[in-house]
Amino acid sequence: MQGLEALRAMLLIRAFEHRLLARPDRGFQLASSGAEAVAVGVCAALGSDDTLLTSGRSIGPALARGLDPGAVMAELLGRTGGPCRGRGGRGHLAQPAAGFFGAHAVVAGNLSVAAGVALAMQSQSRPGVVACLFGDGACGSGALHETLNIATLWRLPLLLVCDDNGWSVSTPRAAALAPQRLADFARPFGIASESVDGMDVGAVADAARRLAAHARAGLGPAFLECASARFTPHSTATRETRTRAQLEALELRCPIRAHAGALRARGELDDAALAALEHEARDRVDDAVAFAEASPMPGPEELLDDVG
Amino acid sequence: MIHRLQVPGPISDVEEVRVLQWHGEPGRAFAPDELIVEVETHKAVVELRAQQPCVLRAILCAEGDWARIGATLALASDDPDEPLPGAPDDAPPLAVAFEVT
Amino acid sequence: MSADAPPAPRVFFREAIARALAEEMAREPRLLLLGQDIGAFGGAYREFAGLHARFGAARVRDTPVAESAMVGVAIGAAAAGTRTLVSITYMDFLMLALDPLVNYGAKLRYKTGGQLRAPVVVKTTAGAKGQGVAHAQCLEAWLMGVPGLKVVAPSTPADAYGLLKSALREDGPVVFVDHKRLFPVAGPLPAHEHVTPFGRAQVVRDGRDVTIATHGYMTVVALDAARRLAHEGVSCEVVDLRCLAPLDVGTVAASAARTGALVTLEEGQPSCGVGAEVAFRVRDAVGTLRVARVGALPAPVSSNPVLEAACVPDASRVVETVRRLLDPARRAAPPSEES
Repeated sequence: MQGLEALRAMLLIRAFEHRLLARPDRGFQLASSGAEAVAVGVCAALGSDDTLLTSGRSIGPALARGLDPGAVMAELLGRTGGPCRGRGGRGHLAQPAAGFFGAHAVVAGNLSVAAGVALAMQSQSRPGVVACLFGDGACGSGALHETLNIATLWRLPLLLVCDDNGWSVSTPRAAALAPQRLADFARPFGIASESVDGMDVGAVADAARRLAAHARAGLGPAFLECASARFTPHSTATRETRTRAQLEALELRCPIRAHAGALRARGELDDAALAALEHEARDRVDDAVAFAEASPMPGPEELLDDVG
Repeated sequence: MIHRLQVPGPISDVEEVRVLQWHGEPGRAFAPDELIVEVETHKAVVELRAQQPCVLRAILCAEGDWARIGATLALASDDPDEPLPGAPDDAPPLAVAFEVT
Repeated sequence: MSADAPPAPRVFFREAIARALAEEMAREPRLLLLGQDIGAFGGAYREFAGLHARFGAARVRDTPVAESAMVGVAIGAAAAGTRTLVSITYMDFLMLALDPLVNYGAKLRYKTGGQLRAPVVVKTTAGAKGQGVAHAQCLEAWLMGVPGLKVVAPSTPADAYGLLKSALREDGPVVFVDHKRLFPVAGPLPAHEHVTPFGRAQVVRDGRDVTIATHGYMTVVALDAARRLAHEGVSCEVVDLRCLAPLDVGTVAASAARTGALVTLEEGQPSCGVGAEVAFRVRDAVGTLRVARVGALPAPVSSNPVLEAACVPDASRVVETVRRLLDPARRAAPPSEES
């Protein structure tokens, strides 16, 4: 999967977000540009028995997990054709039947929930691992410590994946987190952990497969730290804090360009093939947009449905 | 002399107890410190131990029954053949030590 | 019940809870219990006694002291195909779990468009009993207005049993609030299996002159006040709300429509409290009504016995409130008051 499929998946995410962010009705979005390799690499390690939870930065992971781009676009635009009928949006995007247990927009809010999902699988002897993606911004939260502790004690089939792009909105990592390596948060618990280059989809996929296998085998939880980059501001409502020069330097590490380069070097990709893949991604996004635009907004009469 | 074995008190927070287990039948003699009956409060089991030699004569509160603080659980006597009174409420209380376990 | 039926067996409050849990654990093999000290220890009040021995450590799990994760794990597990009950020993520490409970659990069904539901019961013990400012609070009012959350508060062993069984059959999150001062209470519990439906208040004492709407341990206090007031010729109708969300306004309103006077009574703070909600809704249903609200005085509840007793409502304060409310000399006064 570290071949053309990975490139195809990352191109889709990049094209999808690019199109979304250009729309006047885009709403409040957090983009994954720069972190595509983390999403695609982690999802390469997940199968149909597994499920994925994310933070509010959900678009890339949802697409990487295989959710239909039209349904995702509909959800992001608030349409009833989205899996949550337009109610969750990006922050709460979910399609459990497709192995995407869901996003939760509270920083670190999905960690203990993911451990609970893993507990359910363990208690019902269901095979599979629960992967939970979160940012470096969540590592200062007590929720991470509490979740690591319980997951280790109970040997839960849980793979915690930290997408470390080095920023908590405007606060650089060094000012927010004391440990040198975020995988060191897992060290006190003695669990399997790795730190990898999050811009290298092959490295992410290989590490994710190793750690997922560990967790699936009942050996306890695992922690994967991926050093990535965020090419966009934290959100569409957040001011950019980096200079143009800094961003340009960052974009030299683009995971898509890096993987395309690796494929070229292996003789698996040439200019024509790349152009075709890029074109295909745009077409898929066109289809997604068409589906979403044709899907209606909910009416106010739906307001009280499914409150509980 | 006839004595009443009463539900002891006050025990903090407790208004009534459930009789759990009698450790003897009528006719059984108890020496000081022997366990006569266990009763249960909402929090704990309370052991009632004889503090004077006595003979258990009549159980008035069976296992599983409820009794309030001060209620009479049983009659005991110094001598095994003493006749039992018709109105036991006048009889003095039996000296017991109670321990919350 | 016929006069010939044998009286229902009498049980301690904790036994009613333990029986409900045992029955539901047997009925639903996917049900998991999580909490501090609920395993071999059997719970702070022994309300979990026997469950660990009978159902095993995989289903009756002791947790570390980590209320936020405990509730998050319970909710995640419930959403993913089990059913869970998580015990938060002190309601004060439910505050640590408000994020997973309110931001995730209560909103899960809605935010996923119905794809996920979290059949989780958060069982917690409220109330003042000499343990200090951070081990004394009644916070039901904070929860009853959260869309997606149900809140129940029994006052008797029978209702603890029936409401807990119902809670464990709901398909969404329920907060089950018992009270430290209810554990010494013994009461009848029918031997046959039964559930108490949500959304039904209960008239626990009939009366003509005033309606006292209350819940939890304050129901015991209200009944005590009613007995005292009966000696003065005042007849009180006491309504035990039992379920705060969904709230049975109809039963209280029907009572208040007959008596013409309503006193709400709670142990928590009256400001934005249960009584404020009940009073508004009942007035909305009934129209003009004399209303008084009784709750804790606006101070933290200290472990100091003098201060705790002064802060938390007691039967004397309820009696005084009813007397003032019904005093004909005060009919010209504003229709609602506070005590």
